[in-house]
Amino acid sequence: MADAIVAEGLSRTFNGSVKAVDGVSFSVREGEIYGFLGPNGAGKTTTLSMLTAVLSPTGGHATVDGLDVVHSAHALKQRIGLVFQESTADQDLTGRENLELAAALFGVPLRDTPARVSDLLDRLALADSADRLVKTYSGGMRRRLELAVGIVHSPRVLFLDEPTLGLDPQGRAGFWKIIQQLRTDSGMTVFLTTHYLDEADGMCDRLAIIDHGKIVASGTPSELKDRIGGDVVTVRPIGDSPALEPALEALPGVHSVTVQDGAYRVKCPSGDVLIPKIVGAATNLGVSLAGVSLRRPSLDEVFLEFTGREYREDEGPTATDRAVFMTRFQNARRGIR
Amino acid sequence: MSGVRRWSALTKRELLKIARNPPAIVTSLLLPILYLVLFGQGFSGFTSSLNTLPPSLRTQALNQLILGAPDYYSYFAAGMVGFVGVTATLFVGANVIFDKLFGTLKRAAATPATATDIFGARLVAGSIQPVGLAFLVLGLALLLGHLGLSGLNLTASVTVVGAAEVVVAILVLSLMFASLFLSLGFTIDQPQTYFAVVNAINLPVLLTSAALYPWGAMPSWLQSVASYNPVTLAVEVLRINFFGDTFYPHPAWYYLLGLVGWAVVMFALATFLVSRALAPRK
Repeated sequence: MADAIVAEGLSRTFNGSVKAVDGVSFSVREGEIYGFLGPNGAGKTTTLSMLTAVLSPTGGHATVDGLDVVHSAHALKQRIGLVFQESTADQDLTGRENLELAAALFGVPLRDTPARVSDLLDRLALADSADRLVKTYSGGMRRRLELAVGIVHSPRVLFLDEPTLGLDPQGRAGFWKIIQQLRTDSGMTVFLTTHYLDEADGMCDRLAIIDHGKIVASGTPSELKDRIGGDVVTVRPIGDSPALEPALEALPGVHSVTVQDGAYRVKCPSGDVLIPKIVGAATNLGVSLAGVSLRRPSLDEVFLEFTGREYREDEGPTATDRAVFMTRFQNARRGIR
Repeated sequence: MSGVRRWSALTKRELLKIARNPPAIVTSLLLPILYLVLFGQGFSGFTSSLNTLPPSLRTQALNQLILGAPDYYSYFAAGMVGFVGVTATLFVGANVIFDKLFGTLKRAAATPATATDIFGARLVAGSIQPVGLAFLVLGLALLLGHLGLSGLNLTASVTVVGAAEVVVAILVLSLMFASLFLSLGFTIDQPQTYFAVVNAINLPVLLTSAALYPWGAMPSWLQSVASYNPVTLAVEVLRINFFGDTFYPHPAWYYLLGLVGWAVVMFALATFLVSRALAPRK
């Protein structure tokens, strides 16, 4: 199967110093759902902006559907769909008018436009509110309209930037059901960014974990979880206990022991079996434990494994946010945009 | 063909937005209407003081002061009709800033729509609207005369060519100011900054034009400045067609030509700035 997206050493630096994306390389196969997972500020949106010709890379190169993102930007925009993380539909137009406008901009044949628009409104459960101004829509309806605008021209590659941000669990589930259906029906390639681990786990055929502008791991969700090597038991002793680490390493079935924030992360094939042995070893050493917890392999664990820190979904402003803020701040001082 | 379709779809969008925003239309008309019903009425007695002069001297004085207009109010009302070309284009730039804030412009820039499509649609929609509004102000100025107040008194016969010249003058003036305000809209990010800059432009443009002042009463330095002011150029075309060209040194097309020159310069500036603003971010 051919690659729909290829990025090689893609980089983006803001203001000459803020490295939002630092030489990422990856490829996405046709028809695949590929996810970029990472906390805010990791470089997800900046990467997506470069792949959709909204932002020029400062290093490396990329192709989408065989087109160079810099040199074939105009042709590229006709073949891709883009769903932004915020609502960009025109609030003073109706849902139908927004879709008709998008159809015209993407060159959907005039004779096909009414049927295409009606079909999308039906599929995305917007038919009843199609002729209402978007300013009267709920958050979920706006997200669905945003998706409809992104796919009105049946793009070959669909980019979704944090598409379910702000939706409730029911809205998120409904949104992904639509995406799965679209992929099944049309075979379109989907590239998405998310900071929801469960979404990445459940939706993506493959994913890359990005942190501080670099891809730290990639593969299928199963492959990534397999790299953890089974269950992880976290042992939190009370006070210093230097003797505990070698004792844990000596237990049968333990793959590895690492120390993070005063706790021991013990990898093993079966945590259920190991926990009594851990408690026994601690008791023998006279070490009191504040807690012992078992975590099955999950992308949380994968993230922790490859970045060395806990995953948080609300980690401050993004690198792009910071760069935009700095640019605006500097320009405001100069009295220009 | 696809370029024309993109452009016409975007123009339709702009016109729909204008039509669905009556407060913006009212605000566009507020200044010229306030001038018509307050300022103009307050100064309408300005030329009646000449009534004490013998008729031949009065006519001579009027011709010298207000270039063949029957009275000051008529002369001034023509100026206000032209000034709508400035006040009614103000919102095209503000709309760009709001579209930036609401993400709508980002959406358009992510489609195959070119900078020319996006700019052209806003320019055309923003230039057509003032023509309609200028005729509303013209109608009001004529109506006031029938309501016992001072009103616009047309003394030249209306011809097709003359009407066309009036429409073209307002259209080109609007095109010029729409280009200017679009340039500002694409380069400024904050509405507060935009309106501060626009206010810093509007009033000086009005006060250095011949829209308000009797030409013969202006000091020569102000006459020199005003003769290059685009509002003056448009208003002279209107006055020639409303009151006759006897006291004007040039025919209407001459002023139109100067106005087109202004529009070309502003259009070129706007094209450069908008292309830069809509290019992929470097």
